[in-house]
Amino acid sequence: MPYLADLEQSGIPTVLVVFNEEIEKVKHDSTLHGVPKLRYVVASRNSLGGVSEAHKILDPTLDALVRPLTEEEKAGGAWAPKQPRILFEGSLEDAEEFYKQTIQIPRLLGAPFSKYGDGLPLVVPTEERVEKMLKGTSHKPEELITLQREVKLRGGPSASVERLPVKKKGEVVQFMPLYRTATVEQVAVNAVMAGCEPNQFPVVLTIAESGGGTGDGRGGGGAFVVSGPIYKEIGMNVTNFIFGPGNPVNKALGRVGSIMWRNLGGYEETITTITTLGSAVTNGGFMFPEYAEGLPEGWKGLNEELGFKKDESVLMPLNMMGGWGIGQQHMPGVYRSLQRTGHGAIARYLGVKGTPGPHNYLAYLINGIWATMEGGFTLVMPQQIAQDLYDYGYKTKESIYEYIWKQSFEPVAKYRMRGMPDFTTNGWLGIEKTSGKPWKELPDDYMVPVGGDNPFDSYNVLVINMEETATARFGGGHSNGYSIDAWR
Amino acid sequence: MAAKNRVYKCLNPIGNQEAVDLSPLAPRLDKLDGKTVHLCICGEADIWVPLEKKLKTDYPNVNWTSKKRYHIVPWELTEEERKTTDAVILGVCW
Repeated sequence: MPYLADLEQSGIPTVLVVFNEEIEKVKHDSTLHGVPKLRYVVASRNSLGGVSEAHKILDPTLDALVRPLTEEEKAGGAWAPKQPRILFEGSLEDAEEFYKQTIQIPRLLGAPFSKYGDGLPLVVPTEERVEKMLKGTSHKPEELITLQREVKLRGGPSASVERLPVKKKGEVVQFMPLYRTATVEQVAVNAVMAGCEPNQFPVVLTIAESGGGTGDGRGGGGAFVVSGPIYKEIGMNVTNFIFGPGNPVNKALGRVGSIMWRNLGGYEETITTITTLGSAVTNGGFMFPEYAEGLPEGWKGLNEELGFKKDESVLMPLNMMGGWGIGQQHMPGVYRSLQRTGHGAIARYLGVKGTPGPHNYLAYLINGIWATMEGGFTLVMPQQIAQDLYDYGYKTKESIYEYIWKQSFEPVAKYRMRGMPDFTTNGWLGIEKTSGKPWKELPDDYMVPVGGDNPFDSYNVLVINMEETATARFGGGHSNGYSIDAWR
Repeated sequence: MAAKNRVYKCLNPIGNQEAVDLSPLAPRLDKLDGKTVHLCICGEADIWVPLEKKLKTDYPNVNWTSKKRYHIVPWELTEEERKTTDAVILGVCW
């Protein structure tokens, strides 16, 4: 939309072809970018082959370029929405009702959509509660959220065709989809509403610095991992059921991104943003810590991997593409049988029956893992599995990333059948990275990585504290680290 | 009871929206014949295949130019290309 606005403003008439479900967003975006009367033609997304639809929209499309402008279309003006600092005054009971309000969005078929939150009950952000929250940081309430250090953006599914930007220290963070900004106090309001406590506020401010879970407008509230000592200070669960209910810190922090997406970013489904299904893994809230105390000797914690010191507390947003259900699964005891005595299904698969470990568990785990998905993934494992991998020969985490990535290569002929590369190769018009050649010039038997552009960006290993020997995995590897300490 | 009667001031969680200057649309073309109309094709391209074909067949007196990509962010015209472009049709992502 910025491009279309720029064309119109420089005197080149335009018309936009869009799909039916996008009309409200087009109207919204065109106002946001300064051309509220932008002309558009609506097509159906479901027209077979597109032929009849193309014929249907041809005349209106050309008409939009020659039909004289109306007085409304010739008018200028300003769009300057203002928000008061105090939103509600009254009893606590009435305030609860006020913040519980919902709006009606036609495309949601009557299902209510929260006006100020993620759909769950909200803590009322009284002036006193927000003031208390602000005591959790040394930053001034009126300070705008800015980047605390330079960030070279990493990863994401479009990385193959899109140059990712470098963002400078001090750059004001914009919350999407409405390109809004926020002060420390406004973030504190959202933190109170999510149920966070003041000692968690530096983590919330770091979430805000990373974009507040708003992404490019379709952030879904984000998903985050904390590395460094702060997890213990604030009481995050780093042990069994790390992704389950019960711990108020993981839960409140996991939720705050969704609330910021709604309030700071201005997310309204099908109006300011159009998503698809959302993520069944994050479900609007996802936050857990790393247990660096459980790392084998020589393995770096996530903070060190991202260029920070061992004692620094760091937040990393996950470049998550959703769940990662393909590949192998097993009962925890089957893993122990493998490593202790060389028995069970994994031992049979690896051909080590009867031989005590350590054995290469990864070779089993990744069997078939890219059958229906491309890209890399994060493995969350207890300290025992990490130690076994170390004993087997993976003396660094990098050696794991390298091993998995190398197993992901397959011939171009097979790669062409996959769902994402039409997009990531720019319709096969782009350059294949490992060869430096155009995709279309590569022979069918040329081997390319299915599992991401490179080992580090595509994979991640995180250790948690648990005696059971099971792992969890989800899409995406390393993204960027943001200092939590900078927001203390 | 005291808490029930107390008036609380509650803060606004919404972020700051910068003011936007609203512009009129660019003047429209007086005719299509003889003009250079650029097709900016991005996102799912299916509808564009018959649309591009029919535009070129039915309007042979228009100078059609195009840039295509599967990505959702369109390839933009260069400053030089803009000088010789009279209008742009863009779809299906913006």
